[in-house]
Amino acid sequence: MEKSTSISTLTSDQITRDLLPQKFGKRGMIWTGILIVVSLFGLFAYARQLRYGLIVTHMRDYVSWGIYISNFVFFVAISLVGSLITAIFRLTNVKWRTPITRIAEIIAVSNIVFAALIIVVDMGRPERFMNLVLHGRIQSPILWDVIVISTYFFISILLLYFPLLPDLKILLKFKKQTGKRLNKLYRFQGSFWKGTKEQMHISDRSISILCIVIIPVAFMIHTVTSWLFATTYRPGWDSTNFGAYFISGAFLAGAGAVAVAMYVFRKAYKLEKYITDMHFERMGRIVVMLALVYLYFNVNEFLTPAFKMKESERSLILQLFVGSYAPMFWFAILVGMIIPIIILVFKKGRRPLPMFIVGIMVVVGAWFKRYIIVTPTLLHPFLPMQNVPENFKYYFPSWEEWAIAGGSLAGALLVITFFARIYPIIPIQETIDEQNELNEKNEKDESK
Amino acid sequence: MKKMNQNKFILLFLFISFNLFNNTLTAQNDSVKPENVVRLHYFNINGKMQYLVLESLLKNGRVFTPHSKMTYEIYLDSAAQKNLVSSVTTDEEGKGKAFIPPALKSIWDASSQHTFIVKQGDEEVLSDYTITKAKITIDTSTVDGVKNITATVMDLKNSEWVPISDVEMRVGIKRLVGIVSAGDEPTYTTDSTGSVTVELKKDSMPGDQKGNLVLAVKIQDNDEIGNLLMEKTVPWGKVTEHNTTFFEQRTLWSTRFKTPYWLLFTVYSIAIGIWGTLIYLVFRIIKIGKLGKQFAMINGSDEPDDI
Amino acid sequence: MNDNTNKSRREFLLTGLLASAAVAGCSDKNNPFSTEDQVALTGQKVKLLSVDGEVIEIDKAFLKPVPDTPQLSNSEERRGIPGKKFVMVIDLSRCKNLRRCQSACNHMHQVHPGQNWIKVLGMEDADHTAPYWQPTTCMHCDEPPCVKVCPVDATFKRQDGIVLIDSDRCIGCRFCMAACPYSTRVFNWEEPILTEEVADQPYSCETSMPQKRGTVGKCDFCPDMSRKGELPHCVSACPNGVFMFGDMNEDSVTNGAESFRFSDLIKDKAGYRLMEDLGTKPSVYYLPPVNRNFPYESGLENEYKPDHLYEDAKLSIKKN
Repeated sequence: MEKSTSISTLTSDQITRDLLPQKFGKRGMIWTGILIVVSLFGLFAYARQLRYGLIVTHMRDYVSWGIYISNFVFFVAISLVGSLITAIFRLTNVKWRTPITRIAEIIAVSNIVFAALIIVVDMGRPERFMNLVLHGRIQSPILWDVIVISTYFFISILLLYFPLLPDLKILLKFKKQTGKRLNKLYRFQGSFWKGTKEQMHISDRSISILCIVIIPVAFMIHTVTSWLFATTYRPGWDSTNFGAYFISGAFLAGAGAVAVAMYVFRKAYKLEKYITDMHFERMGRIVVMLALVYLYFNVNEFLTPAFKMKESERSLILQLFVGSYAPMFWFAILVGMIIPIIILVFKKGRRPLPMFIVGIMVVVGAWFKRYIIVTPTLLHPFLPMQNVPENFKYYFPSWEEWAIAGGSLAGALLVITFFARIYPIIPIQETIDEQNELNEKNEKDESK
Repeated sequence: MKKMNQNKFILLFLFISFNLFNNTLTAQNDSVKPENVVRLHYFNINGKMQYLVLESLLKNGRVFTPHSKMTYEIYLDSAAQKNLVSSVTTDEEGKGKAFIPPALKSIWDASSQHTFIVKQGDEEVLSDYTITKAKITIDTSTVDGVKNITATVMDLKNSEWVPISDVEMRVGIKRLVGIVSAGDEPTYTTDSTGSVTVELKKDSMPGDQKGNLVLAVKIQDNDEIGNLLMEKTVPWGKVTEHNTTFFEQRTLWSTRFKTPYWLLFTVYSIAIGIWGTLIYLVFRIIKIGKLGKQFAMINGSDEPDDI
Repeated sequence: MNDNTNKSRREFLLTGLLASAAVAGCSDKNNPFSTEDQVALTGQKVKLLSVDGEVIEIDKAFLKPVPDTPQLSNSEERRGIPGKKFVMVIDLSRCKNLRRCQSACNHMHQVHPGQNWIKVLGMEDADHTAPYWQPTTCMHCDEPPCVKVCPVDATFKRQDGIVLIDSDRCIGCRFCMAACPYSTRVFNWEEPILTEEVADQPYSCETSMPQKRGTVGKCDFCPDMSRKGELPHCVSACPNGVFMFGDMNEDSVTNGAESFRFSDLIKDKAGYRLMEDLGTKPSVYYLPPVNRNFPYESGLENEYKPDHLYEDAKLSIKKN
């Protein structure tokens, strides 16, 4: 068991008071306001896209997938962390996970929602979305993705909901602090939770089942997402390594996002007693391990084709390594993997602030990495790019694409922000239970 | 939907055309007025059906473009009202078709040679298209396993069929569009007896389900006799069955009604397994709800002490 | 560059149709692809004079230069023409980059300015190999990677070998575009520019018209023309006879002026298909650019800048 020092002196009341959802402060208001403005701007850009068609983007016949798809892959990647922190850590009995499970789970839910939304944005005919159900063709990896993503969304919601039940019961007691409306919401969601032994037993078992189920599904969402690329013949995508490559990258990106969120919540809600330096230290070790794994898969992904230099791959590899995409390519490798590894191998690098910076580096690197995976490949078709207007031969997103992509990122953050406003971002009951366990243990030790 | 009216579209099309030819041409076009060219083609199909196709083109330098929505009158032998064959309006491709009506039977029968006259309004735009009645006969023979096709062309001169020599024609097997030559030459020319004998060299060509092939002899745009086509069905082909097994198979590219079984099995078993579990868990939530209500019934609305 | 031959070639096709119609009427069903079934018979008979001066009756539908084909149901269009297996042969030794195929195709399908269903690519396989012009259509693969990935059966393979798109079904995910190794598919990024006549037509997969915004388009092998007994537009537009179209089951292809036995042609000229190693099994065969009719350089003058076309079309849209 981990010896956590700062919590040991806390009483249940204090924990409850510390962890109750708080109203937005001035900073919170500004933050939320900015996110809403960015999201609305994204919506405005999408309205333009609906009106004029995908012509408002700079995607054309060769680069037929742009930042919408790279953003989609990014969202799916980030959402994978829910399964890592909640499920894998639970099954492997990692005790220090308690304060970050809900953070990870809401990141997973909000990101998977926006992954689905950004796919709808990318569709030329979003109003025909139901065709996927009415005329769905199981042979298509897109349908696998639809099935798997909706499944993962549902599991993530359940995994968010079950542990929330005891907390809802606590929240119901604080009607004055939370306000009438929220109280109604809590009552609707959890008034039936009485905390009886039977209920607890069912809940515990259900969470265990979910934690087992979510792991294969999580692997599936990202493997299937990688197959959207790997099932084509395109150089740079035609790779058997792609599933593992995507999953390792996803865990890294998600872990980075959690590190950032940990730091932000800790600062914003003054949770230093709950999200401690120890948590950053542990999380740092996880991130460095994931970054090393991802780096390994990157070497694996690029070394073999670069060694052979097959004609179809040659121009793509050269463009990535030394050509026009080289700055972005090496940025993603350096900032997304190598520099984080260098920082995190030092103990000082795993303190909260460096961890926060590393987290941002990892997430930003991950976003550009997805861009690098999607776009350059499409600029290297098998037959030469001829008989097309000049602007078909390169790609840089239009302002509408940036606005929509930015809006979706802001939207995902907004979901997380509002969630933290409504529900305790750190599980109250679980923290209290852990505290009690610890106190009992301390008493036993003393009596000995 | 954005619609462009016809004129603008034609302009766009012309623009494309001009891009395709060199610039000197477009320079010429500024000075030369487009010229209206009318052509007539007579068709005789299997010695029975006959018709005329009128073709109206705009000649612009070396470029011909179809002249649509133009109306012309076609007359037989003389431009009198009683000799009117038909009034035709050209379609998008600049073409119009005319059949000879029964009313002109006496004029048609009167001579073995006829002239067609085309008028646009009062202006005579074509007056020298003359056709002689002609026919093709096809004879087939098999000698020592060699299959021969003999085609004979004759025209009507003073109510007698006279063989014509030096007529170029295709002799072959009728296909989807076009005729695959029976021998090695693409076309054959009739000798002094008006006939041509061609050995069928393309062995075991696929025929229909009974192994029938349609032989065809075709004369195209002959100055004297126009366009003639004669066909004959012979059992010289290879029997072909319509094989739909390729299309019926269950593959990754088949429709959703023909998904491979292994894929269906895999996807359904995973989906049912996982969603079965999830539905079970939803029922567990309902169970928790019921337990909560039971607890409230027994203990009033009081809540249990924290455990 | 002779338009006369080009025009009369069309006539030739027309003749074929009527011939079969007449034959089907008087002899047994000897033609598996009887065009009689394909023509929308009106039931109204018209009396005409035959060659012998007899009075015969034919259906009014034949009065038109090209008889109307009936509106087919979507399921018929998806099934395709039974007993056919369409195939195309492109003779690279005859191509001089004239692009008549391209402009005819663009015109007939009202393809968006700047985009093309047929591309004529200037190819040079390696530094010291000879360049050549390669017209590229949809390959109508027998193992079509685009169809494999379509999530909604919007693109499909028919029994006659043609791969078509149903723009009423397409959701615009563009997975097929990523999957196609021949980069043959185009997307209607904006509202297509259509003539009023076409815009008012009901949609048909076989004509691919009227095209719809937010859906994918590509070369369709013109099955509507095949049903009429005519050749695809690119085939009949090419004055050099580069394209040959036909039916594998009949073992023959034609460019209108010349017809060949397909198997002989492929054998004699060493026909091949593109990217055989991918296993897509295309229906389009190429004849290598040997003994060329034109030097490669003669095609250079025909290179045009789609950019200008594109900008010009944009201007005309704005004016509207």
